[in-house]
Amino acid sequence: MTLVSDGTFRLLLSVITGGVGGLWAIHDVVFIARLRGADRRDPLVADQRFGYVMGIVIGMIGVVGTLRFNGVL
Amino acid sequence: MATAAAGVAEAATVAPPRVVSRWNPANAVTASRYLTLPFLWWAVDHGYHQYATLFIIICGLLDKLDGLVAKIFNCRSAFGELFDAITDGICYGFGLILVAAYGWAPVVPVVCVLAMGLANTGLRFVYIKRAGRTVNFKSYAMERIVGFTGYLIGFATGPMEVTFFYWAFVPVMLVIVLHDTKRMLVDPVPGAGAAGVTGVNR
Repeated sequence: MTLVSDGTFRLLLSVITGGVGGLWAIHDVVFIARLRGADRRDPLVADQRFGYVMGIVIGMIGVVGTLRFNGVL
Repeated sequence: MATAAAGVAEAATVAPPRVVSRWNPANAVTASRYLTLPFLWWAVDHGYHQYATLFIIICGLLDKLDGLVAKIFNCRSAFGELFDAITDGICYGFGLILVAAYGWAPVVPVVCVLAMGLANTGLRFVYIKRAGRTVNFKSYAMERIVGFTGYLIGFATGPMEVTFFYWAFVPVMLVIVLHDTKRMLVDPVPGAGAAGVTGVNR
């Protein structure tokens, strides 16, 4: 029992993972850039910086996985 | 007239902090996420990959929706945030166990993820004890890894590069859990009104 064709499902998975992962990484790059000049000793700033770095890593994993899924890598 | 104005001014200055009921629309949306779990189980049990993916996507979207509803109805509370975090753990934990049990995901990384998730949940309660009040430990990195956890179940139901995603997830989560463990156990707890303390509840 399926909702859509295999090709469409594959495309949706790619968009939801690779698209969102890429946008997520860009979003966190922008936000980490905004933190330049902020007080690194402030615990909140330190947590934000670490979170955005992890967000970029996770986003890139999503993009790489999507490329592998589509046989590009 | 002047007396009434003075009364209003006095009420404004001595007004107690806003109390948010636990029975609010945002928490209802959070609770509704549990309704997706029987359908997810049904789809996995019948081998319906697309339906299983749909139900985990709905569960993930409801997770995003509850925050939006809390903003619209102005009903954010520390309890709501904690309830959301616990619901994340239960829903995604159930989903991971399900896909591993049916052989849709590798068991070893799933066990690692669940162990780290449980450890993090336990530490949150230690943090609450340290804080002396109901407070949700806020971590930007953990918010991101929780989003990834929802995706993990989707990768298994897809199926989509299951081995790659599951093994890539483990070291990232380990780094984040270690980072947050230090913050929860060692770093000073922020005071009321600071990050992580978002409201009064009953």
